[in-house]
Amino acid sequence: MSYGELARLVADASARLDRLDTAGGEPIAVPATKTPGTIALVLACLRAGLAVVLPPATLPAVTRQRLLARAGCRHVLGAEDADHAGAAPDPVPFAAPAAPGAGEDVAFVLTTSGSTGVPKLVPLSAGAVERFVDWAAARFELGPGACVLNYAPLNFDLCFLDVWATLHHGGQVVLVDPDAATNGRHLLDVVDDHAVTVVQAVPMAHQLLADAADAAGAAGEPARRLTSVRHVLFTGDHMPARCLARLPAVYPGARFYNLYGCTETNDSFLHEVDPQALPPGGIPIGSPLPGVEAVVLDADGAVVSGPGRGELVVATPFQSAGYLGADPAAPGPFVDAPAGRPPGTATRFYRTGDIVRRDPTGLLYLEGRNDFQVKVRGTRVNTAVVEQVLLDHEEIAEAVVLAVPDPVAGHLLHAVLRRVPGASVNTLTLRGHCARQLPTAAIPATFRLTEEPLPRTTTGKPDRQSLGPLPTPSRPGTTTPTRKETVR
Amino acid sequence: MNNETLIKSYLIEEFLPEVSAGDLATDYDLLTNGVVDSLGLLKIIAWIETEFAVTVDDAALDPDNFRSVDAIGSFVARASVPVEAG
Repeated sequence: MSYGELARLVADASARLDRLDTAGGEPIAVPATKTPGTIALVLACLRAGLAVVLPPATLPAVTRQRLLARAGCRHVLGAEDADHAGAAPDPVPFAAPAAPGAGEDVAFVLTTSGSTGVPKLVPLSAGAVERFVDWAAARFELGPGACVLNYAPLNFDLCFLDVWATLHHGGQVVLVDPDAATNGRHLLDVVDDHAVTVVQAVPMAHQLLADAADAAGAAGEPARRLTSVRHVLFTGDHMPARCLARLPAVYPGARFYNLYGCTETNDSFLHEVDPQALPPGGIPIGSPLPGVEAVVLDADGAVVSGPGRGELVVATPFQSAGYLGADPAAPGPFVDAPAGRPPGTATRFYRTGDIVRRDPTGLLYLEGRNDFQVKVRGTRVNTAVVEQVLLDHEEIAEAVVLAVPDPVAGHLLHAVLRRVPGASVNTLTLRGHCARQLPTAAIPATFRLTEEPLPRTTTGKPDRQSLGPLPTPSRPGTTTPTRKETVR
Repeated sequence: MNNETLIKSYLIEEFLPEVSAGDLATDYDLLTNGVVDSLGLLKIIAWIETEFAVTVDDAALDPDNFRSVDAIGSFVARASVPVEAG
């Protein structure tokens, strides 16, 4: 599709927008179905000066209604009208005070990648988005002549780079169909057919591409090489060194970057990786982007100035002012500048929840989370929330959800549960219970149901250590199945 | 074994080891309920190709074809219609 055709779609979308009563300036909800029509709708809203709320296309309907009510949306506009023509949520004009600064110039409202029943709303101002897309376009050559792969779902903050920065600066965007996103052969064809120059994706996607490229070689065909790609970005999760080592062969003409960020602040750290000289201590998240201030805080909240470890706290030129509809007085991850920080100008910081290590050269390395957050197939999941949802079931007396690292999915969740005596609940009904309240990635891969009390520590907390050994799930996980091959 | 029984026993062995065949309704939504993710879909497709000696072309990769025991059953029935060799 050309920019001219896109402009016509935007004009159509603007006409639809004009038929709505938008005098109140409430944000417009556009379910993030990945189509050119959705992109045109978003552009039309931005042109009209209306904020766009992008709920995940896969969000359960009930959750979406609650989310949009909290965002103050009066209108839901879907690209495929028939699919989304559902009534707008009962309008609840901003019941809670909007977050400080989350005022009239909000352009995008994203949702946190979802662990709780109703995701948090992250408003991003037009200025924040503008600063980010300008940085990204200059850094990764996203302008005319560029062809940028969009792998992530349209509601992810990653799209500020691969979709919105690219369109703002005149490059071409190639949308990966979410239903085919784990089909390595399909991904390979897409990158090849469009001569993609920039690939930003979670490590899993790069691994799928490498697997598919090698499978072609093993099948006696010429090895597939993605020679058009100039910039390879991995983000959203830990990049396994073994996977990274395979990438230079797959993308022979590319530079490689580890990009670190989160929905609330967008990207904050970047590290260009020299694939010929992989650092022995893992791949760093690197150094702050221009304009980013970063502090490492130890467990007591004191600034770690030299080498050491602690929670990463950042302030970026691209960040949100705070969650929409959140009580500004309630404790949250948005905090004032930490005392004792290095000289800087930022006044509002964001606690990432990520534990990092700073080496003697000043580079940061990701070590883990300081809470129960894990990534399952690129989606942030809080295992404590999953436990809570399971405990809400009337026949479940105890619940522990364990996250076990998995080479493909990042983590897989395993639920160990005690049901009440005489309960009729089984794992199928429990899955349904979870599916009604949680995003799909948060539904545990396996469930173990018992009627015995779960082991507890002396302080009465579930004893996670002694819950193992876990059942080895005979589930997708360790290998990527190849078509035409027995996988049992 | 008829196809439905075969499909059920495969799904149980592969994805739901703790479930008995009688409990798995043939219209149980395997995707929405998180039994099968997108990698799981590829496994199912690989199994169908091997088990039923059919070729699943990319056009048939619509997840709805594999959403439940019933859906997989009808998909296999459609795909198994003999075509003339050529």
